[in-house]
Amino acid sequence: MLEIQDLCFRYSRRAPMVLDGVNLTLRDGEIGILLGKNGSGKTTLFKNILGIRKPESGSIRFDGEDLLRLSRRERARRIAYVPQSIHFGALSVFDTVLMGRVSYFGYKAGKEDEAAVEAILRDMKLEDYAARNVEQLSGGERQKIAIARALAQEPRLLVFDEPTGNLDIANEQLIIDEARRAAREKGIAILTSLHDLNQALDLGDRFFFMKNGKITHAGGAEIVTEEVIRETFDAEVRIAQIEGKKIIINGGHKL
Amino acid sequence: MEPIPRGYHVLMRVQSDLTKNRRRNRTALILLTLAVIVLAFVCLFVGSSHMTVAECFAALAKKGSAAQVRIIWNIRIPRVLAAIIAGAGLSISGLIMQTDLNNPMASPSTLGVSNAAVFGANLSIIAFAGGFLDTGNHLSSYTVGANPYATSLMAFLFSTVSILLILGLCRLRAFQPGVVVLAGIAIGSVWTAATTILQFYATDVGLSAAVIWTFGDLGRATYRTDCIMAVVVLAGLLFFTLMSWQFNALLSGDAAARSMGVAVDRLRFVSMLLASVITAVCVSFLGIIGFVGIICPHVTKRLLGQDHRVSVPASALSGSVLLLLADTLSRSMGNGSALPVGAITSLLGAPFFLAIIFTRKGEHD
Repeated sequence: MLEIQDLCFRYSRRAPMVLDGVNLTLRDGEIGILLGKNGSGKTTLFKNILGIRKPESGSIRFDGEDLLRLSRRERARRIAYVPQSIHFGALSVFDTVLMGRVSYFGYKAGKEDEAAVEAILRDMKLEDYAARNVEQLSGGERQKIAIARALAQEPRLLVFDEPTGNLDIANEQLIIDEARRAAREKGIAILTSLHDLNQALDLGDRFFFMKNGKITHAGGAEIVTEEVIRETFDAEVRIAQIEGKKIIINGGHKL
Repeated sequence: MEPIPRGYHVLMRVQSDLTKNRRRNRTALILLTLAVIVLAFVCLFVGSSHMTVAECFAALAKKGSAAQVRIIWNIRIPRVLAAIIAGAGLSISGLIMQTDLNNPMASPSTLGVSNAAVFGANLSIIAFAGGFLDTGNHLSSYTVGANPYATSLMAFLFSTVSILLILGLCRLRAFQPGVVVLAGIAIGSVWTAATTILQFYATDVGLSAAVIWTFGDLGRATYRTDCIMAVVVLAGLLFFTLMSWQFNALLSGDAAARSMGVAVDRLRFVSMLLASVITAVCVSFLGIIGFVGIICPHVTKRLLGQDHRVSVPASALSGSVLLLLADTLSRSMGNGSALPVGAITSLLGAPFFLAIIFTRKGEHD
């Protein structure tokens, strides 16, 4: 379980707070989605959770352990990251995924690391790609490889920064399914940010609306309302219900 | 008969594809090693004294005329060793700087390491006449000096100070690769300007000695300098090989590497320092040998991919190959006196380099 309490962060002492008392809880196997405008602090929050940035105050605990006290390698075995823009360097797919296990083996990959990679590639139906150069794959395929690499870390929490940013619809769906599978089958908690609210509703268990470095609303799908969206994004939407599912329609004022 | 399930075929194919990749890498490394050995012998047999191959072999076995034994053992072997060691060193320094800074242009010369070495050597030669206190205005005192190591030492000190300054400045702000390159260019230009001013006040003899120093020349190598270079280059090779996976992770960007547990800042600081020291040592003993640090890593990466488990040893070996080749050519073209090897590396390497970067065929698949 991820527990964040009163987290504050700013980039320099004179700069304004980017995270201003963030509180967030996410259980194992849950998919949490951060929703907010660009610059509301989503990526900064991710960087704090990943240990890329050090918070000014507050605590981040995972399964009761203080993340700020864990070594980099210990943290990497608990939390994995799929960045927004993905580049790898000219390596084979197999080696790229194997790289995810560097926090386990350190200097030289062992047989069990290779076996773990083979299992993940098979599970994600990526065996065909193993020997190919990642640089020559399409955006969607690379995103999948990035997920495979993250899963190779055997994490308990997967941080996923705008996973569908540059993908076409088919690949978007593929990535969403892959994320859902990781959460449901392996009990991995997933924290992600999405721009498409309908996608968010489709995927998420819990929703965190962020504005000016604060989480203003948190909860299940019931908190996703026209008012909350207006408040968070300064945008008008209408929410319709079709077969019990919420559908968000942009530009509510025109209706 | 039962049909074999499809998954089985796929798995077998994957295994064989991966094995093929690995076999290709191994073959490339073996070929490069063989090339180094063959070229080392060729290099040993070519020279201004026109010894025959048989004479060379005899001299190698310490038989034959005393002069020939001395040529082989005191002149040619230290030179060949210097080519192998410095070639490998300059090439891996370039490779590591490119990975560290995520910039294909990064190399000892773009980061000002070489410029600082040139300034240090110029200062030693022009202001202190090659030794520390001898100020006689004779070319002999410049080239030999009161202390032959003084110029190398000054070159080394200044290049180390320069890189520490750059790394120190960059530590103040978070270690952003782009900033390092810019700082390197800025500080490098300061050294160049200082060198120009120094040369403006130099006597004509001092000036020519200083300029001649900057021409890379493997002939300055002795067993002792080879040993010093070998220790530093081997240390680098060992460290870079050990850290291969960490460097591989760095190719995915800082954030991703950190999330995989790599101590990015420390890795970058230590490896930049080590790469710079390797360059500083080679340059201060041999003078400027440009472009090896750019050509060799790029060619290896194009042909064999960016996996540092392969690209570190392959770059080292290809650096040795290029420098051996260039030295052999420089000594057979110079009509008795060797042409500056630094010029040959560029003349030889640049067209090959251009061919590689402009054909997509060479790309790793």
